[in-house]
Amino acid sequence: MLGYIIQRLIQAAFVMLAMSALVFVGVYAIGNPIDVLISPDATQDIREAAIRHYGLDLPLWQQYLAFLGRLLQGDLGRSFVLNIPVLELVLSRLPATLELALAAVLMGAFIGVPLGIYAGYRPESPASKAIMAASVLGFSVPTFWVGLILILTFAVNLDWLPAGDRGPTVEVFGVGWSFLTREGLAFLALPALNLSLFKLAMMVRLSRAGTREVMLSDTVKFARAAGLSEFTILRRHVLRLISIPLVTVFGLEFGSTLAFAVVTETIFSWPGVGKLIIDSITSLDRPVMVGYLVLVAFLFVTINLVVDLSYALLDPRLRRGRRA
Amino acid sequence: MSAALLEVRDLRTHFHTRAGVLKAVDGVSFTLARGEILGLVGESGSGKSVTGFSLIGLVDPPGRIAGGSIRFDGQELVGLAQPAMRGLRGKRIAMVFQDPAATLNPVLTIGQQMAMAVQAHGGGGERAARELAARSLARVGIPDAVARLDAYPHEFSGGMRQRVAIAIALLHQPELIIADEPTTALDVSIQAQILAEMKALAKESGTALIWISHDLATVSSLADRVMVMYAGRIVERGPVAEVLHAPLHPYTRGLLDSLPALATPGQRLAQIPGSTPSLLSLAPGCPFAPRCARASTACGTDPPQVGDARHGALCHHPLGAGP
Repeated sequence: MLGYIIQRLIQAAFVMLAMSALVFVGVYAIGNPIDVLISPDATQDIREAAIRHYGLDLPLWQQYLAFLGRLLQGDLGRSFVLNIPVLELVLSRLPATLELALAAVLMGAFIGVPLGIYAGYRPESPASKAIMAASVLGFSVPTFWVGLILILTFAVNLDWLPAGDRGPTVEVFGVGWSFLTREGLAFLALPALNLSLFKLAMMVRLSRAGTREVMLSDTVKFARAAGLSEFTILRRHVLRLISIPLVTVFGLEFGSTLAFAVVTETIFSWPGVGKLIIDSITSLDRPVMVGYLVLVAFLFVTINLVVDLSYALLDPRLRRGRRA
Repeated sequence: MSAALLEVRDLRTHFHTRAGVLKAVDGVSFTLARGEILGLVGESGSGKSVTGFSLIGLVDPPGRIAGGSIRFDGQELVGLAQPAMRGLRGKRIAMVFQDPAATLNPVLTIGQQMAMAVQAHGGGGERAARELAARSLARVGIPDAVARLDAYPHEFSGGMRQRVAIAIALLHQPELIIADEPTTALDVSIQAQILAEMKALAKESGTALIWISHDLATVSSLADRVMVMYAGRIVERGPVAEVLHAPLHPYTRGLLDSLPALATPGQRLAQIPGSTPSLLSLAPGCPFAPRCARASTACGTDPPQVGDARHGALCHHPLGAGP
């Protein structure tokens, strides 16, 4: 098991290296940041001083190596526009996105999986058909539209929940979290629901497909022959047997929600990283873009590693080096 | 007949498919005494497994019991409510399946799965369940039973896995075990071991056993009585020795002739021409007639019961009675 973890960590390091090169080269090819940074009527001397200051006169590979060297020391550079360290900038926005994404994915899992298991267990019942029809909507209706409808319904017409922004935060480990206060939860509810609909639909479909397959298996027949109740069979046999694909999708969805919650964050004015990356792209703030993408790659690699390790927890056949 | 543990009368299990009604079990009747071992033999699709599942109330949709009666220890099982049926399953009637690799849950330990089976019928706390599980494993010949409770199914060999499945079936000391080809997926040497042990366990605990198999040789070494099933009907029944040495039905004869153990060395094995008929398009009369060398025009009508109560067959032209 330890050897496996070390092997996976080395793989992860290579993935990060490749990602950083790709991102750096990809972003380097876009536009000329110096035009954004200094006013058009600056003298040639000031212009060249600025280029030298940011190291933009060096060849690409030297810029990359310098970037990589700083990266290894945890330095992602400074924002051209705001002139504060990128890491600090991203980390100040990350908790907001983190709690939004986590709330959305957990909502998707805790509501979607039981509904999906039910739909797979009783595929012919009207309730199951309604669940499946709703899941098609969850897939196909655009997020921004659902977001607007949610605001219109719950914030404007019913006035139950706030229409946008993040609620008050509580400091834990030096980071502000809003889900710890009642008011914060009220602010979180609508954007999280909006973001979770797609995941919910996916969890429903995945667990339904898995359940239908497992219900026909001899494992379930044998459990029934042993006199187990249907509820015990669903909870202890079926849930465990369908958990691996669910965990995979859960991890991937969590990663992509973190990285690309842009639409929801924009609609609900949620001060997360999605808003930050859009702003940095429009202002060609290269260090922020590169730093953000490297952090996102790091998050994905980490999540995938955790997902892979949890397979071993869920499926004993994948644990190596155990007694024969 | 009140001494009988199981009394099945005119059992009909039908599958309502789009292509029509498939009569997988079509009027099966038999009785089983306590502690008796009954072999149920037939080719694939003869309805023998469906018969087994009907007895334990686990026929998968679109199948359902369309008629007849199953009396278990005086209690009618056909039409019994699911909670009551569930109370019997695993407790008084248990079942063992063909492929232990598929029946045991690969992601739960043997101990967890056995504890669930214990607690499905009350069974007290975790500790008592584990003790009962370990005793049951030891009974079926699994060494170091207590330690093995924490092992997963893939850490057992095929034969050991089937022993675990049998141990689960034996947990509550049921009065009837239905074994659906439990040795088919195993090596021949392991098969013989399991057979001998099952026989010993059944005799020792007074458990009645219905052994479903396509293999007449396996059944003959184990059972007291044997029933031969064809196209949803029992075409011959009787004590093992009599059925083996003086079969009445031409189909039984055909099965015997195709056994390598009984054939003359050097000769080609005999085989029954044709294949099992589709249960959706059964012609009236004897379903075996199209494949039977003794068939006549009389076989177009339902065959009569010949022989006596001990050893009988459904045939117009039984063997040993002239053509």
